[in-house]
Amino acid sequence: MRHFITVGILVLIAAALTYFGLTAAGLMPVEASVQSISIDWLFNYEVMAISFLFALIVVPLFYSLVVFRRRKGETGEGQYFEGNTPLEIGWTIAPLFIVIAFAYMGSYSLSDIRRVDPNATEIKVTGSQWAWKFEYPNYGVTSNELHLIVNQQVNLKMESTDVLHSFFVPEFRMKQDLVPGRVTEYRVTPSLIGSYKVRCAEICGTSHAYMEAPVIVTSAKDFDAWIKTQNAPAADPVANGKKLVANNGCLGCHTVDGSKLVGPTWKGLYGSQVLLADGSTVTADDAYLKESITNPTAKVVKDYPPVMPPFALKDQEIADIIAYIATLK
Amino acid sequence: MSHTQNKSSAFQQGMVIFIYLAALTALEYFIAITFTAVPILVLIAVIKVALVMYYYMHIYKLSEESDSDQSSYSYKTGSNRFGLWLFLLSDSFVFGGLLVSRFNLLAMTRPPLNQLLGLAVTVVLLLSSFFMNRGETAMALGDKKGFFTNTIVTFILGLGFLIGVVAVEWPNAAREGLTASGDAAGAIFYMMTGMHAFHVFTGLIFMLIVMNNARKDVYSAEKHWGVEAAAVYWHFIDLVWIFFYPALYLIGKLL
Amino acid sequence: MKRFFSSALARGLFWQFVGTLVGAGLITGIRALMGLSVTDKFFFTEPAWVLGGFFGVLFFMVGTGVTDDWIKWARGIDTPDHHEDRFEGWEKYVNVSLDHKVIGAQYAITSLALICIGGLFALIFRVELAQSQLQFLTTDLNLFGQNGPQLYNTLMSLHGMIMIVSILLGIAGMINYIVPLLLGAQDMSFPRLNAFSYWIAVPAAVLLLMSLVLGGFDTGWTGYPPLSARAPVGMQMFFLGVFTAGWSSILGALNTIVTVVRMRAKGMTAFKMPIFVWSAVATSIIALTATQLIGLSFQLVMFQRLFGMGFFDPAKGGNPILFQHLFWFYSHPAVYVFILPGLGIISELLPVFVRKPLFGYRWIAMSSMAIALVGFLVWAHHMFTSGMNEYLRVPFMYSTLLVAIPTGVKFFSWIATIWGGKITTPTPMLFVLAGIVVFLMGGLSGPPNATVSVDLHLHDTYFIVGHFHDTIFGGFVFPFFAALYYWFPKATGRRMNETLGKIHFWLMTPSFLVLTLGMMRIGLLGMRRRIVDYDPAMGFDSTHMVLTIAGFLIALSVLIFLYNFFNSIKNGEKAEGNLWNSRSPEWQVPSPMPAHNYEIPFEVVGEPYDYGLADAPYTKFMKPETGKHN
Repeated sequence: MRHFITVGILVLIAAALTYFGLTAAGLMPVEASVQSISIDWLFNYEVMAISFLFALIVVPLFYSLVVFRRRKGETGEGQYFEGNTPLEIGWTIAPLFIVIAFAYMGSYSLSDIRRVDPNATEIKVTGSQWAWKFEYPNYGVTSNELHLIVNQQVNLKMESTDVLHSFFVPEFRMKQDLVPGRVTEYRVTPSLIGSYKVRCAEICGTSHAYMEAPVIVTSAKDFDAWIKTQNAPAADPVANGKKLVANNGCLGCHTVDGSKLVGPTWKGLYGSQVLLADGSTVTADDAYLKESITNPTAKVVKDYPPVMPPFALKDQEIADIIAYIATLK
Repeated sequence: MSHTQNKSSAFQQGMVIFIYLAALTALEYFIAITFTAVPILVLIAVIKVALVMYYYMHIYKLSEESDSDQSSYSYKTGSNRFGLWLFLLSDSFVFGGLLVSRFNLLAMTRPPLNQLLGLAVTVVLLLSSFFMNRGETAMALGDKKGFFTNTIVTFILGLGFLIGVVAVEWPNAAREGLTASGDAAGAIFYMMTGMHAFHVFTGLIFMLIVMNNARKDVYSAEKHWGVEAAAVYWHFIDLVWIFFYPALYLIGKLL
Repeated sequence: MKRFFSSALARGLFWQFVGTLVGAGLITGIRALMGLSVTDKFFFTEPAWVLGGFFGVLFFMVGTGVTDDWIKWARGIDTPDHHEDRFEGWEKYVNVSLDHKVIGAQYAITSLALICIGGLFALIFRVELAQSQLQFLTTDLNLFGQNGPQLYNTLMSLHGMIMIVSILLGIAGMINYIVPLLLGAQDMSFPRLNAFSYWIAVPAAVLLLMSLVLGGFDTGWTGYPPLSARAPVGMQMFFLGVFTAGWSSILGALNTIVTVVRMRAKGMTAFKMPIFVWSAVATSIIALTATQLIGLSFQLVMFQRLFGMGFFDPAKGGNPILFQHLFWFYSHPAVYVFILPGLGIISELLPVFVRKPLFGYRWIAMSSMAIALVGFLVWAHHMFTSGMNEYLRVPFMYSTLLVAIPTGVKFFSWIATIWGGKITTPTPMLFVLAGIVVFLMGGLSGPPNATVSVDLHLHDTYFIVGHFHDTIFGGFVFPFFAALYYWFPKATGRRMNETLGKIHFWLMTPSFLVLTLGMMRIGLLGMRRRIVDYDPAMGFDSTHMVLTIAGFLIALSVLIFLYNFFNSIKNGEKAEGNLWNSRSPEWQVPSPMPAHNYEIPFEVVGEPYDYGLADAPYTKFMKPETGKHN
């Protein structure tokens, strides 16, 4: 009996220490959405249960190792008992209740984070290898940054053009896969002004690690100001080209600083001689660059894979992009 | 061995079961073309499978008490039989996975296939099962000649089924616009029939091996595990088709 | 050396090479006749490589001679029941043997070899991850047609699958060696099938490694389409390799079930079997059936690539999520395949070292079966974020949490077994104890992933990576080492060095705990899995450096183990008796075990774990019958 009391006290102490130790370490990133509160609420109870169960097994284990160790010169066997049916039924039934409790709390938390606000704004999200694109149908704006208004639910309608991707913002605590051929939904109510990053969480090929985009949670006023800058027509073709390049995810494969990604760099490209896969050379003039955007596999650069999809852009847009590339000396 | 004690009764039983199966197949076809009743089709398939498993595949033999000497032929046959059934259980997960895929991809529609042609190959395969059963029964009674006659008929019917599917049905479906590289319906159709045809092909090879061994007098009325295995495997192929046939030809609206 | 080149292994590898050329050549010839392209980036075209890989496996199997008897049977020629081994010493292990003990050792050694290869891959990418930014797997690199990040993806994916295959071989090794001994059988039910199951795993491993040099693949071990439908040709080799390894697992499981049902000693009723046998059966039930589904799902992607069949191609009406259902229907139960034998080892060894009966034998046996059965109903908890029908998430949350109950029964029973014992802690016992603690950590980090809302955060992060490594180390690696230390004397008549064993243990265990706790920590903070590089702004650099160091310490400890293992075969301290003072039948006869196991068959007369009860033997050897030798 003495052993049981000692172990019982030790279990409680160890459980408390484990729980407070874990929570003091700051397990989760900041809470930046309404949904994350509900998720962290459930996770906190889970950490509690984990701490208790961990102590419940580990403490008697180490206690036995010390107290019931075979001492020097000791012979003989351990105490003979091979089972105890009430005890065994007990430790089958008791966890069942814990399981039911957590399943209930899990369902509750799930329904909480899926709560629909009828006034939620819709934003169209497109993932492709390896870039994010955000369209605001209410404003006619397309951007490679996701701007959200604080305390206002948004409903992201997400699509993929090629392979699986996953929309993951750790501060929002949620992720949702993007599946080609269907539209998936991600509802979130940002609650903390700040700037975060969405990163792809489902492996999607070579540059998967770099498939990210800024997520900026702002006040309604700042959001409107941002929309205004997006709507203002860019008078300067180079500036417009730069924006198009960012919005279409070109920079997932092409760099502007001379380093090599999936595709060739644009630095010093304009006007240069390009060696093609078939051994011939071509001058990187307007016609070549246009063809490389609208029909990329027609002339493939040596040592690069023919993986670029064709882009359907307006002639003016292509001209602006080429104007931008021409500035990258 | 009570089920095969009497020569004429054993053959008679095979015949009766075949008549049941044929009647159920006809009923199934009639129901499918007249009104849609998926639960009834499933029920019929399950009854057919139960009949095949009990009377043709002799699943009850699994629980037969065998010799206690672990090195005896009968004990080893018992182990072999158990092993074969486990293999079939494992294999049925492949076919189950294909069935699940078919209903996931096509739901309650079916590919544009000739239902009469489907019925024809189904009947051929069913007939082959009937003759396989006769062949095995003959061997169990020590009737070598009967074994050869029936197994050769089985082989010809099996080959007929294979040709019917691969050389007649496939080009036919392709003419209807159902191609492997076309859409998901074509893909799953060719995959299901192809996987089944592959098993038919291996079953035929198995039969050739068994016939060759029988020619060399390897088997006797008491010791013919090879024949039993070939027969059970062949019936399993028939059993798979009992599910595949309605899933591809009968259930769902025409695509 | 000459004797090695004439061994079955060398012959098989040679014939696999020939078969690959024949298969690839065949397709290339046909393509040439049809006027299609005959060469590609990796010399042969993709269809040519696929048929080549397939032919390679067939040629390997025939080349080793493992199919000789079957071919004879097919031609109507009878063969003797047992072939005596023609070889001695190491040659026995590189040639075809029908002896379950030799096959078990072959499995175990192949498993260790694969653990080394998979571990090496892990070390390579661990070095890359030690710091943010790209250090040596840069975009300028060009190795096997892959740049740095692509190579990272390939190594990371192969680390996963090679380790999985090594686990499958490791558990097959334990089951093969131990189960017939525990049952009192001469061998497995189907010795030829047993040899076949082992040997087919060798070309499978070769195929997996071929994928590395044929352009690799970048999908992770899960191979999700559509990405896997566009990956380089290495993807096909990976699929083919897994498919082949799957057959090894299926046929081995079939053999195990038949052996347990049909080959038990006299008097050994179901609840008098040693507990490890129960877990072997539970594992085999899953491996026998569910494995077909991963084979099928990979086959469908292979055909999608080869023939343009649109199973998972949304443009053709296919459904990418269907693949995930088929895949996880195996791959979740698969983790129970990996851990159940290990948990069986823990239950089997604990009573020996605490000198007490196993507490609640029946409940432990039933909990293994319960885990196996519930395991079939939980697969979609890997897909909470996948975009599958939303209502499916709740039932799968319930079923997944249910797994905690039988697992809990095991833990409580173990603690009750230890309580009040007379505990000694030689190396095997240390690994058993660490297995319990590590598996506990894996088990406890599981339920948060089962509750849907929390999983939305945890899914595809390093938390999962840490959780998974905890369950697999606790459920397989630690018990596997325990089993190797424990049964080594049975196989060789010598024991492994205790001091080196303890160094191995004390180096590996703390390093491993640091490794997985660190993984879980950064995972919670948002570190995604399967990435070659991470944002330095997230502040994970120092943690990753610690993880890398921990990884290298584990590698060092395994090297010490390997030295100890191979050195002790020849130079270990002699240990021919009942070294651990066990009640188990195999320890009642001298080591090493004779070729046909028990010269005198035994009969079961008592309970397997009645330690501490006087005059209650488990087995009784029957009176020798003169003139009859087995």
